Amino acid sequence: MNRLFILIIFLVTGPFLRAQVIGDLLQDESVLYAETKQVNQFFHRFNSEEDGKGKKIYEGNPAYRDNHLRKQTLPLIFDKESTTLSKSIENKFIKEVTNKNTPKYLEFHGGDWFAEVVIDVTFDGNIKEAHLFLKLQEEEVGSKWVITRVYFEPFARLFFKDPSAVDKFLHPMSHELDFMNLAKVFREEGQVEYYAYDNFSPDFLSIFIYEMKIERLKFNGVKKVNFHFFQVDGYYFKLEEFNRAGFNNGWLITQLKEIDQESKNRLIGTIYYEGN
Amino acid sequence: MEKIRDLEKYISIIGSKETPASEAQRVIERATELFMDDSEMGVSSLGSDKIKYYKVREYFQRLMALNYDKVSISWFNIQYISDLELMPDGRWVGVITIYQRFEGTTKEGLKYKDTTKKDITVYVERKQTQIGGRTIGFWDVLLGDIRVAETKK
Repeated sequence: MNRLFILIIFLVTGPFLRAQVIGDLLQDESVLYAETKQVNQFFHRFNSEEDGKGKKIYEGNPAYRDNHLRKQTLPLIFDKESTTLSKSIENKFIKEVTNKNTPKYLEFHGGDWFAEVVIDVTFDGNIKEAHLFLKLQEEEVGSKWVITRVYFEPFARLFFKDPSAVDKFLHPMSHELDFMNLAKVFREEGQVEYYAYDNFSPDFLSIFIYEMKIERLKFNGVKKVNFHFFQVDGYYFKLEEFNRAGFNNGWLITQLKEIDQESKNRLIGTIYYEGN
Repeated sequence: MEKIRDLEKYISIIGSKETPASEAQRVIERATELFMDDSEMGVSSLGSDKIKYYKVREYFQRLMALNYDKVSISWFNIQYISDLELMPDGRWVGVITIYQRFEGTTKEGLKYKDTTKKDITVYVERKQTQIGGRTIGFWDVLLGDIRVAETKK
């Protein structure tokens, strides 16, 4: 009976195992051509500085930065599956950046864009996410990416969490007592920041570096990268990378907003998690 | 592009089960010489948002030791070459993107297939050498870190 059972199992699973395939190979290269493979390519496609196969178009070639061509190609660098992108703002944006009298192009070294890198870290034994903000800094020779800010929720949680802290101050005659009231301040170490100067804002980057140096914070890996662009006057857009089937893939615009100076400052604050 | 083509050839030889172990080790040495010291492979897969980092030599050793009876590795006939950017140390850096197809078959006939995108750092440096008393300038090219990501079909 057992032998019969094994034979049945073999007959049923044997052919299946022989045919079993995990994964699949990409057969059609056209999707690879369509994919915006690098941020560098995003710049080239935005500006019409390369052809459909990724071959560079040089100045002097009629197709170089050709605005008629850009009108056709620019819609392809937007995330077609986004539910938040407004078609009317997208059309207005494309119309403005391809205006034959005042066209707008992206410049790699033009400033007004930065990277947000979400990293996985171990902090005090727990796995956490941190957000690093980096910008391209021009040097005497060449350029380099530099970390400008950090947002790390465990740090943010520590500061200014008591909105009713109006009584937190060192009175103006403290000096006459050799600031002996500092003892009380530092006994309540959870609220020390309220005794700092007006507009004091904790520098998470310094704390982050310090925590790494004392080995309480350990880098595990990069989780996600996206880019925030303010290079086109009056607009903000976000660039994210997609790894999905189909032609609308790679580095694509996922958010596009019309902004003025005031909303720009507010938006930058939101991107930096200010007030969180 | 010559070094990239060399890398393609070496990866295919190292991964092939028909390559004798001693020959694969020799090719790993050649392949490692294409890279700057300390170059790493950052490997991500579709099932996880974690990236595993390997030194290139370790990556090649793992490729050689893959538990398949038959392996076929080839690159798609497409590559994307970025602009070269000047670094503060005077060297130039660029990134070349290629796509690799991998097929592995186990003894039991189980097949594993994937397509990976490889973003390869390329460092270019102007160097000089003396030949017959004359100073000749040349461009030295070395590969650097590689990001490897499994792609969706």
